[in-house]
Amino acid sequence: MRKGSEGRSRLLLIILIVTALFLITLDLRGVGILEGARQGTQTILSPFQRAGNVVLTPFKNFFSDITHLGRTRNQIEKLRADNNSLKTQLANRKNADAQLDQLKSILDLAGTAGFKVVNARVISQGSSQSFAQTITIDTGSNAGIKKNMTVLSEFGIAGVVKDVYPNSALISLATDPSFRIGIRIAGSQQIGILSGRGNRSASLQLIDNLTDVKVGDILLSRGSVANRPFVPGVPVGYVTAVDNSAGAIAQSAVVHLYTNFSTLGVVAVVVGAPVSNPGDALVPVKPQPTPVPTITIYVTPSPVPTN
Amino acid sequence: MITRQLSIAIPIFIIIFVVQEAVIDQFRLAGGGFSLLLIFTLIWAVLSSQEIAAIGGFIAGLLMDLSPSSSGPIGQWTLLMIAACYAVSYLGSGNESLSGNPLGLTFFATSTVLFIEIAYLVTSALLGVQTGSFGQILITLFGISIWSLVVTPILLPLFSRLHAFTFNTRSAI
Repeated sequence: MRKGSEGRSRLLLIILIVTALFLITLDLRGVGILEGARQGTQTILSPFQRAGNVVLTPFKNFFSDITHLGRTRNQIEKLRADNNSLKTQLANRKNADAQLDQLKSILDLAGTAGFKVVNARVISQGSSQSFAQTITIDTGSNAGIKKNMTVLSEFGIAGVVKDVYPNSALISLATDPSFRIGIRIAGSQQIGILSGRGNRSASLQLIDNLTDVKVGDILLSRGSVANRPFVPGVPVGYVTAVDNSAGAIAQSAVVHLYTNFSTLGVVAVVVGAPVSNPGDALVPVKPQPTPVPTITIYVTPSPVPTN
Repeated sequence: MITRQLSIAIPIFIIIFVVQEAVIDQFRLAGGGFSLLLIFTLIWAVLSSQEIAAIGGFIAGLLMDLSPSSSGPIGQWTLLMIAACYAVSYLGSGNESLSGNPLGLTFFATSTVLFIEIAYLVTSALLGVQTGSFGQILITLFGISIWSLVVTPILLPLFSRLHAFTFNTRSAI
């Protein structure tokens, strides 16, 4: 009896493993039904994610405050005096203001280049159990979003549309290990390929060794055919370290991405781009130091009274 | 009998998957957070027979593969979860120090989560799936392990009762 039960469980294990291997083979061969299954799952999940986002926003703000306790100690000390309702109100207001600021900056960036954009809110961050870096936004094909469109943040490139559903879209972030973008260096116009590394620093591989790349060089997107997946001229990041190994075929560098991926609340998807290339027009302006006014006081000694 | 149990178990797996995708993933937890479905399935497997554990692993793995944020091919998580759940059930069957001891079960589930993630990385490398820089992988593995260690004892009573409810058995934990 025991032997029969063990035999049955082993048979079941073999059947299940063969099924899994069958699924892997079908997926790697690009069978459409399996791709549709993942899209169907996202279509079903997006209303839940949307509802979850609405319900959990106050809690997220609360946890965010706790996370930044050390850095905002003074602010927390000041807020401690406020009552609970004011705290909630403030947290909601802060969230709305931050999103508004992000949106304003995105529109400024898109407006300068003449991009036609669709704005969207981030409703979910992809689970990192698969080591992928993705987010889900609350607009999809109904708003004109298509696969392989550029996604902008307030600072520049945020990612690319990986999959589109009627009312949501999955964005592959620029930090994703599979993310690749053609770039050119503002000024020298040297071109290269930037790859995501799972965090805010990316690796740059230049195509040739004709000119030297320097720390601080600003990288812009090079653009793709018909502007998909990438529109040209969008700021990507700046060089923080250069590897000039003597034996290397091409120069490589470490790049700090402009976009702060941990605070992404609002993004814009570029649905239309002008025919002309914006060139270096979107290069971020370096902050100018505010001149400190010099006050000169002339003191004239009063005549010494003579007695 | 098994059909009735599975008809109860499948909705539970789906609900936990939806909670993971719609609630847990909303919090941008440091170090990659934790996978509720992964922890639940492993606890489920320890408490179940090998057949039920393998089927549970198949359902959970398929759901994890269908997650839009999953980067590997469909079937990768399924394969890993079937193997992991079967092995976990095999090790856990008749082992009271594991299935009847919350502390032992917590450490066992956490180390299995870490083992599965490493196995996922290895199979990803074989299948040509990009998984990021070495440093980032280490941070994620460390983060997932720590989160699993924290979350498992909190959720253990609930998951144990869900298992007991499905199989009409008395909760052991």
